Amino acid sequence: MEILVASAVGILTAAGIYLILRKRTFPVILGTAFISYAVNVFLFASGRLAVNQPPVLQDDVTLYSDPLPQALVLTAIVIAFGMTAVVVMIGVGAYLSSQDDHIDDLDEVPPGQQDQTGDAS
Amino acid sequence: MSHWVIAPVLLPGMMAAIIILAARYHPMLQRTFSLATVGICLAIALGLLVSVADGTIHLYQLGNWAAPFGIVLVADRLSMLFVVLTLFLAIPVLLYAMGSGWDMRGRHFHALFQFQIMGILGAFLTGDAFNLFVFFEVLLLASYGLMIHSGGATRLRVGVQYVVFNLLGSTLFLFALGTIYAELGTLNIADIAARVAQVPAENSAGVRVAAVLLLLVFAIKAAILPLHFWLPATYSTAPAPVAALFAIMTKVGAYSIIRFYTIAFPPDLEVTQGLFDTWLLPGALLTLAIGMIGVLGAKRLDRLVAFAVIGSMGMLMTSVSVFTPEGIAAALYYAVHSTLATAALFLLVDVVRTRRAGHDLHWVQAPPIVGGALVAGMFFAAAIAMAGLPPLSGFVGKLLILDAALADPRMAWVWAVILTSSLIAVVGFSRAGSVIFWKAHAPMPDPALRETQSDEQPTPEQNPDHHSEPQPALPMVAIGTLLGAIVLVTVFAGPINLYLNATAAQLFAPGPYISTVLDTPGKVITYTGKDDHGDKGADKDADHKEEDH
Amino acid sequence: MSLFLIVALPFIGALLPGLMYQAGRQACAMATFFVTLTAFIGLMTHLPAVLAGEVVQARVEWLPSLGLNANFFIDGLGFFFAALILGIGLLIITYGRFYLSRKDNMGEFFTYLLLFQGAMVGIVLSDNILMLLVFWELTSLSSFLLIGYWKHLEEGRQGARMALTVTGMGGLALIGGMLLLGNIAGSFDLTVILENREVIQESPLYLPALILILLGCFTKSAQFPFHFWLPHAMAAPPPVSAYLHSATMVKAGIFLMARLWPVLSGTEAWFYLVTGAGLITMVIAAIIALFKNDLKGLLAFSTVSHLGLITMLLGTGTAYGALVAVFHILNHATFKAALFMSAGIIDHETGTRDITRLGGIRRLMPITFIIATIAALSMAGIPLFNGFISKEMMLKETTKTVLFGAPLLVPVLATIGALFSAAYSFRYIGHTFLGPVRDDYPAKPHDPGIGMWGPPALLCVLVVGIGVAPFLAEPLVFLVTEAVLGNAATLPDEHLKIWHGVNAALWMSVIAVFGGLTLLAAYNPVARGWAKAGPPAAKAIFDAIIHAVVSAATWVTATLHNGALTRYAAIFGVTVVALGVHAYFTGSATAPTREMLPMEPVAVVAWILLVTATTVLLVYHNYRYLALVLTSIVGLVIALGFAYLSAPDLALTQISVEVVTAILLLLALNFLPRETPLESGALRRLRDGAIAGAAGLGAAALIYSMLIRDALGTPISEYHLANSYKGGGGTNVVNVILVDFRGFDTFGEIIVLGIAAVIIYALTETLLSSPVRARLLNRPMGNKAGDAHPLMMVVMTRVMMPIVLMVGVYIFLRGHNEPGGGFISGLVVAIAIIVQYMASGFDWAEKRQRYPYHGIIGAGVLIAGLTGLGAFFFDTEFLASSFGYFRIPPFEEFELATALGFDLGVFLCVVGAVLLSLESFSRLGRRSGEQSSEYAMDIAPSRDDTAEKEA
Repeated sequence: MEILVASAVGILTAAGIYLILRKRTFPVILGTAFISYAVNVFLFASGRLAVNQPPVLQDDVTLYSDPLPQALVLTAIVIAFGMTAVVVMIGVGAYLSSQDDHIDDLDEVPPGQQDQTGDAS
Repeated sequence: MSHWVIAPVLLPGMMAAIIILAARYHPMLQRTFSLATVGICLAIALGLLVSVADGTIHLYQLGNWAAPFGIVLVADRLSMLFVVLTLFLAIPVLLYAMGSGWDMRGRHFHALFQFQIMGILGAFLTGDAFNLFVFFEVLLLASYGLMIHSGGATRLRVGVQYVVFNLLGSTLFLFALGTIYAELGTLNIADIAARVAQVPAENSAGVRVAAVLLLLVFAIKAAILPLHFWLPATYSTAPAPVAALFAIMTKVGAYSIIRFYTIAFPPDLEVTQGLFDTWLLPGALLTLAIGMIGVLGAKRLDRLVAFAVIGSMGMLMTSVSVFTPEGIAAALYYAVHSTLATAALFLLVDVVRTRRAGHDLHWVQAPPIVGGALVAGMFFAAAIAMAGLPPLSGFVGKLLILDAALADPRMAWVWAVILTSSLIAVVGFSRAGSVIFWKAHAPMPDPALRETQSDEQPTPEQNPDHHSEPQPALPMVAIGTLLGAIVLVTVFAGPINLYLNATAAQLFAPGPYISTVLDTPGKVITYTGKDDHGDKGADKDADHKEEDH
Repeated sequence: MSLFLIVALPFIGALLPGLMYQAGRQACAMATFFVTLTAFIGLMTHLPAVLAGEVVQARVEWLPSLGLNANFFIDGLGFFFAALILGIGLLIITYGRFYLSRKDNMGEFFTYLLLFQGAMVGIVLSDNILMLLVFWELTSLSSFLLIGYWKHLEEGRQGARMALTVTGMGGLALIGGMLLLGNIAGSFDLTVILENREVIQESPLYLPALILILLGCFTKSAQFPFHFWLPHAMAAPPPVSAYLHSATMVKAGIFLMARLWPVLSGTEAWFYLVTGAGLITMVIAAIIALFKNDLKGLLAFSTVSHLGLITMLLGTGTAYGALVAVFHILNHATFKAALFMSAGIIDHETGTRDITRLGGIRRLMPITFIIATIAALSMAGIPLFNGFISKEMMLKETTKTVLFGAPLLVPVLATIGALFSAAYSFRYIGHTFLGPVRDDYPAKPHDPGIGMWGPPALLCVLVVGIGVAPFLAEPLVFLVTEAVLGNAATLPDEHLKIWHGVNAALWMSVIAVFGGLTLLAAYNPVARGWAKAGPPAAKAIFDAIIHAVVSAATWVTATLHNGALTRYAAIFGVTVVALGVHAYFTGSATAPTREMLPMEPVAVVAWILLVTATTVLLVYHNYRYLALVLTSIVGLVIALGFAYLSAPDLALTQISVEVVTAILLLLALNFLPRETPLESGALRRLRDGAIAGAAGLGAAALIYSMLIRDALGTPISEYHLANSYKGGGGTNVVNVILVDFRGFDTFGEIIVLGIAAVIIYALTETLLSSPVRARLLNRPMGNKAGDAHPLMMVVMTRVMMPIVLMVGVYIFLRGHNEPGGGFISGLVVAIAIIVQYMASGFDWAEKRQRYPYHGIIGAGVLIAGLTGLGAFFFDTEFLASSFGYFRIPPFEEFELATALGFDLGVFLCVVGAVLLSLESFSRLGRRSGEQSSEYAMDIAPSRDDTAEKEA
């Protein structure tokens, strides 16, 4: 079992990093989604694995899976969701205002040519 | 137990909520709320600063749960120093944002600003590693919002990069925390410290990985090479007040490194040696070099300042990595100085940009800017401070750091890099200043520009390019405040340094910190419900009852 | 007067000219003059004490922990220099008042001048060498401002930057040197340091300290090879040149060498470095000076040469050498300042400083002629002028100096220097004043007012006075020399007299003078030869270097930070993996302590599903919709995994988040290209693959190494399990942790959600108020289904709505004891509402929901916060919960916990945040001309569409 989880974490991480190294916004966003999957599983597993031991107290049950990592992962999932939402929105905004969804902002070299919208107002 | 400790974290958060709920269509109300909140928080923070100055450590157990089981806020000399610094910085920044009208060039500036403050202060105050992560996210997300405030193609594209890179950082943070919990079974910083000290040498691998991963996470925030790449574009494209506020964000990284490596993963411990002490100094020196090279090599004024930020972080971390009380104290002094100086510079850059009549910030000749003398004077002062020339705080900081490095075996390296890089910075700044402020007075090459030049300089009101300034004095007042603060930091270097030495001493004797956090009893569990589930771990909480009573 | 005041006065006074700028030029000048005068008088009040050989001190602590204190002291040397600075300052101010034209901003000028003056006085009176450093750098800065004073002059700006660069470099070296010196001596106070000659000279750090300090001195005093900046500083207004670049600032380096003479001098290193540099500078600069056609250029190089002379004398390390050095400092200050002023006058009146355009103005400007001649003859070393005496003594000293074991080397070089010095002095007179009167002067030459010729004239009186009756200067010179020698050597019983008898020195100076005359006689051919074979201009070299450095810096900066996030991310990945691996393998891990769980088929199936989905995604990620679907599949598999590994809450959360995320991404894809063009080549993909693989391996290995071992300490969650019910009042430990044990995390978490929603809203607003709006309006319509809001779906969702809401409420309430809670139910309810949007379109749903999402978010955060604050009333900490059990017959007993209120806040925040985000997206989506239907469904049997269409 452990080997499955560990390998899953590895695969998700690899996939995430690979996608993040792509050149367009959308795959990069998917990539961030993947590494957050990976890290959620990782964090969850940090409480070690257990089957059929949900941390819901019942009479005459003494074995529970570690509840703390679950709580942490829950927080992490929510935060990741917020982050994804924002990065998606900014990505869309960037694409709409520059008609270009390249993640690399290569106009920076030479910075001379950069369009300096000091303020959009 | 007083609730003052949590006030600086709670007030901005609640105020932001109120702004969103009630005041989102009332600019003046937002401004008032925003400024008032920061002001009140600063007052409270100063009070706390005084109360911790004698070495007291305030502990605040959220939900009344004893550490490490619940989350605690810890106010000691170090955290209060940064809390006060943040809040002090926030005031001129807000003033500038209002004076220049930046805050109204998009929605929800003030709400986001308050959230940002909340995140930063929470990060400084929390005593729990995972809670630190949460506050990192709060301050990061708020910073994303502020960074893209008022939009614009470049800003949004840079924004995407900024967000993505920091998402990588956040993920790494979670990996580190997972490792910590899996290895040590705790998340409270003091408890981590206590347990790391117990870790047997033959089982050090996991803890070491956790330690180094954390170091990298914080290195991103502190913009240490090779993880600094997000900074130049972000800071130079962010709205000026935001960039100025970001001056403190890099310090969050520095703070976390200092906190964790003095208390939890000290390099003199067998388990955690050869990480911090191996990696940080080279990284810091590289950062310093690259930053100052950037000051010389930047092609625009705003990027020049951004690189100055990197350089200053390199300087700061160099001093940290000397890892002696003197070094830390010097680093803290430099942190205060560089925060004020960079903020002032970013605001000045914006003034130049606004007044430079569309000639932007490239090294091209443009007509003299409105009120050139004042702006130039302020820029000169800020640049002196930044480049570490006398008589301002930068010089004092540099002296302190050089002196602290004397004892270090790698002293030659440190000195060589610091001295050379500051020379480069001097050249860079003098070049910039002379092009932006002096060359303007030279006869214009092309006639089109020449007529715009006039001997008597037009006042701001007359200048058409001088837009969006309801009260033109306010921005200058804001910058003036920052410069004044720099002067004060210089003049009172003595007393300040006393406090900082005490802070460093407190950091290098973490005993009280740990005992305060871990030995304070929390909630007394008085169980009154009907007694089913009673058997669950009765023995376990029995002994907790004892320690509680 | 207190030393503090003497130092502070110029700085305080520096405010006046700026403030009195409105009051006019006269006011500025007067203010400056009187400030300086007051300081001068204040200084003079110390004269008796100094003559009595006392050392007056004034101390105040600044940064004691470092040893940086505002300590000042005054002895012969300090007094001498301070008097020089303030005295000549007075003359310069008068001169400058009349020199500057109406166009020049006099307030600015005098402000800078006073700043500089204060810094100089600070240097010479500092007791603390760190304090001295402060003033040292201040002189560099103020001279930067003064040289660049005429902002419109290209050479002014360049000269200023060059000066700052060179002296700045020296200053930095000096910082290092001083810190070392202070650490050797154990104090940064000169008075202490000067007592520790042996300690310092025996220390291993002596040499580095010496070199760094000398770097500072040489750059400041323009010694070879740093001599080149001074001539270019001549772009400054003549008053500045006269003040900074002849009389005072360039003497700062000399002063420091003299000041530290007792502790640094007398060693091999000192002798070779200082004497060597001085000698070379003296000769080279003298030669160059002769061939300068710019009057100020000539004087600049002559200054450099004379500074070299003084340096050489200090280098000898003998008491006599020091004596001569001091004497020559005095003499040089007098005649050189006078010369600079005369040059300024010539420039001012004739409109040119170019010697080739001058000549024959003797009759036109008789007064200037006399002044210049006296000063120049003194510089040439003609008897009866003070220059002669000190030069004689210098030559005498050289005859006793042996460099590199060659007894003749020093005297010969010195004579050559003196010879050229005489030559250019004669040229200054001859080619400028003598000769036929010309008719092509740029302006009509005539003598200026007394305001301008008075000051130099005054100096000439001194020149002659000392020249004729040197014994007048003797007490002063001896006093200063004693101060220089300290207790390292005793004053030689020499006397300053005109006639030293017929000795080697006399012959040498005779050679020098007549050689100079002959050289000048043969000037033109020699000059032509020089023009051909002369050495390259130092400026060209300097500029080349600076340019190279700048372009290198630009290249490095631009190349490193090229804006390629992909590369930044790659570097990040590599760094993390590398350091992680290093950390792991420098540590050690024990054998596994846990037994593995069995690998059950269902788990394996899920694993295979996950792997396949991921791999397919990696291959076909450029088809974005497909990629999105696959991502969701992966998410669901993970949810199942959580459920299987006994984390029901996580499973529920994961699923609901997955749904919302999917909807979000779908909406986003609505605006983005449908496909990702394949851009990266095979090599690039290989690189990325390698990095990704390494990262993946790292993560997997790390978690595996932990899964096979137990934690080193008991997890704190034991406590949570034990007290969740008794202390938190809930049996669902995860939920109790979320809302109670670690409620603060959750508080932060909902704030994150709130921020996210607010950002999305704000950005939407910004986009819609920018050009983007137009772009959106003219977006080509996607092929839109005729029946966008199908009947079936509408009906379904209507029926579902209340059920889903019920479920939401149920999940919410049971959360504390069973899997569920505010967050999950929030998402469920949000989804229920979203479905309405999807079914019946934005506007229809919009019309039917009353509460602004902003409000819901704000309320959520507030409620959560206030519940926490509620604890304050029970005088316990934020978020401290309490709970109780109630019984309302006939229902079974149920529980109410304050945590429920907190959870309600979470619930509201989630609903508000999710909906606000999606709403913002859909607002972006509204196109122009799109008829927003006010009906629930497009085609409804109940409605006669045909009639509608006709109407």
